[in-house]
Amino acid sequence: MIPSPGDGWIRLSPRKLLLDPFKAVGQAIVPVVVALIGISRSDMRFWPFIVPIAILGPLVLGAIPWLTTHYRLTDTQIQVRRGLLNKSTSTAPLDRVRSVDLEASLLHRILGLQKVEIGTGVDDDRITLDALAAVDAHALRTTLLRRREVGQVPTPLDPREPVPTPLDHQGSLLAQIDWSWLRFAPFSLARLVLLAGAVGVLSQFGDDLPIWNEETATSLWEWITQFALAAVAVVVAIGALATWVLVSVAGYVVQWWNFRLVREHGSLHLTTGLFTTRSITVEEAKVRGVEMTEPVLMRLVGGAELSTLATGVEDGVTQVLPPCPHDVAISVGAAVLEHTGPLTDPLVAHGPLARRRAWLRQVRASLVLISGVAVAVWWFDEPWWWTAVVALVVLAVSALAGESSYRHLGHALADRHLVAGSGVLARIRTVLETDGIIGWVVTQSWWQRRIGLADLTATTAAGAERVLVRDVRLDVAVALADRATPGLLTDFVEA
Amino acid sequence: MTDTGGTPVLRAPAHQVSPRAVAFWTVSALIGDAVLVLGALLAWLLVPGMPGWVGLLVLLVAALAVAHVVLMPRIRFRVHRWEVSDTAVHTREGWIGRQSRIAPISRVQTVDSRQGALMRLFGLASITVTTASAAGPLTVNCLDADTAREVVARLTAITAATEDDAT
Repeated sequence: MIPSPGDGWIRLSPRKLLLDPFKAVGQAIVPVVVALIGISRSDMRFWPFIVPIAILGPLVLGAIPWLTTHYRLTDTQIQVRRGLLNKSTSTAPLDRVRSVDLEASLLHRILGLQKVEIGTGVDDDRITLDALAAVDAHALRTTLLRRREVGQVPTPLDPREPVPTPLDHQGSLLAQIDWSWLRFAPFSLARLVLLAGAVGVLSQFGDDLPIWNEETATSLWEWITQFALAAVAVVVAIGALATWVLVSVAGYVVQWWNFRLVREHGSLHLTTGLFTTRSITVEEAKVRGVEMTEPVLMRLVGGAELSTLATGVEDGVTQVLPPCPHDVAISVGAAVLEHTGPLTDPLVAHGPLARRRAWLRQVRASLVLISGVAVAVWWFDEPWWWTAVVALVVLAVSALAGESSYRHLGHALADRHLVAGSGVLARIRTVLETDGIIGWVVTQSWWQRRIGLADLTATTAAGAERVLVRDVRLDVAVALADRATPGLLTDFVEA
Repeated sequence: MTDTGGTPVLRAPAHQVSPRAVAFWTVSALIGDAVLVLGALLAWLLVPGMPGWVGLLVLLVAALAVAHVVLMPRIRFRVHRWEVSDTAVHTREGWIGRQSRIAPISRVQTVDSRQGALMRLFGLASITVTTASAAGPLTVNCLDADTAREVVARLTAITAATEDDAT
């Protein structure tokens, strides 16, 4: 039961009493065990004191938050009161509620609980209710979001105008998981970083393992060289690849299980997760644009990712689609923007001078690397052709990167949306509603002034708070800005 | 989509900053550069066994510092300009590069003025106009202190009249 407006303060779900001790034990288990072992070695006399403390401690600590946290709904506000010694009360006006996100870890789900986070948009702090019974959490979410919508709809003055229809609970489905999308999982490298981190952590322990010392390493190396080196390399490569496929597919399944993106109550509502379920709401009135990213490997198989750019959300960029086919990303993006053009229109290229700068930017970086290698080769007295080989490879790669970054560069103005193309290896298309542009910055470095190019930045409150159109001709930049925000530049432009 | 026929150009904002800014920039550059050059010189003289070409390097740094102190304030004075129209704020700054910023007054959130100790000696003040975007603050460095006060008062009056949340 969630409180109806005007009712008194009520507590969180009593099942929180089970949740918190578990969490407390989970956090305290290592120091407690270490302490117990330490003490048991020294003296047995303390046991009668320690055992009750170890058992009762988490229980008491777990009970305090439940006893001291209360919340209530009034006609205009949601209020949360918490704290034992330092009491604090958070309030949020109901018409300012921008987002209601639900999250449940595996433990929450076993106990039938949900954590509720209420965002009010302008400021960063969100009101957290950890935890409510799942039914209550959903009821609270619906109540808050519906209240906000009713608050926004002006009362119809004209009696003939239809009364706002009651909201359907289903909303309209924009996308849901299609398990054929699993094929994109191994091509998404974001998870590789996590895997590398895990390997790094394991290698820390590896140092302590008795088997891994210099002797075993040397004998292992001799064994390998005696064996066919190539065969070992192939086996290792296949093993690494198989591990990667397994990890990435498993990660995809865990993260995107039961994924649904629904439009309801004027919000985009995303639910997903196998163990920890997340439910994220983004108010559509606050969505100012989208960003479609096609990482280099995913482009090979025609995949893409989509994020919304919103204002007044903690982190303005919210990924709303898992790695999925390009067409799905475009159709969902078009549904969010209510226009297809910004995501499909060809971009205006920035010309040969911009290409030269794109190439030089990559080559310059590679020259630093090459000179570093050259110094190392000279220092260690290695044969000179090492430098030549490295230089050749690095220059070839940087030329490729330069060309690809130029190909991704571009801009467009479509259906009242500013479109900017960017990315070195990944192709990124950033779309920003022109109404969301709150200023312009035209930057020219000394080199750019020599060749008449400029970086045009549209500033915005949404997403990363800027959209950059790089290396565009100065007059094209000014014309683009003028057309995107009619009237703003009129005073300052001479034809 | 093709480029439009005319070649639109951003014209320079109407007003220059205070002429005293040249003196202020010269003094602050002098202080910073003197510390750098003296540090380099002392290192060259005091650390034993420095080869001769390090002396040339110190000389080069000193020459660059002189050029910086002499040229930077003058170029900067020519580049730095500002204007507040009825609808927008427009600033231009830089000395090697150029940066023009435009923000509509309806989207302005805060107007701050700032005056360091050295700036106060020269009777100067800087104003910063922020919008809801972290990428969007406009700064006009080294206005005449009285002008700065007037601009802040005017902008504050306009933004106070705006009801929107400016995002």
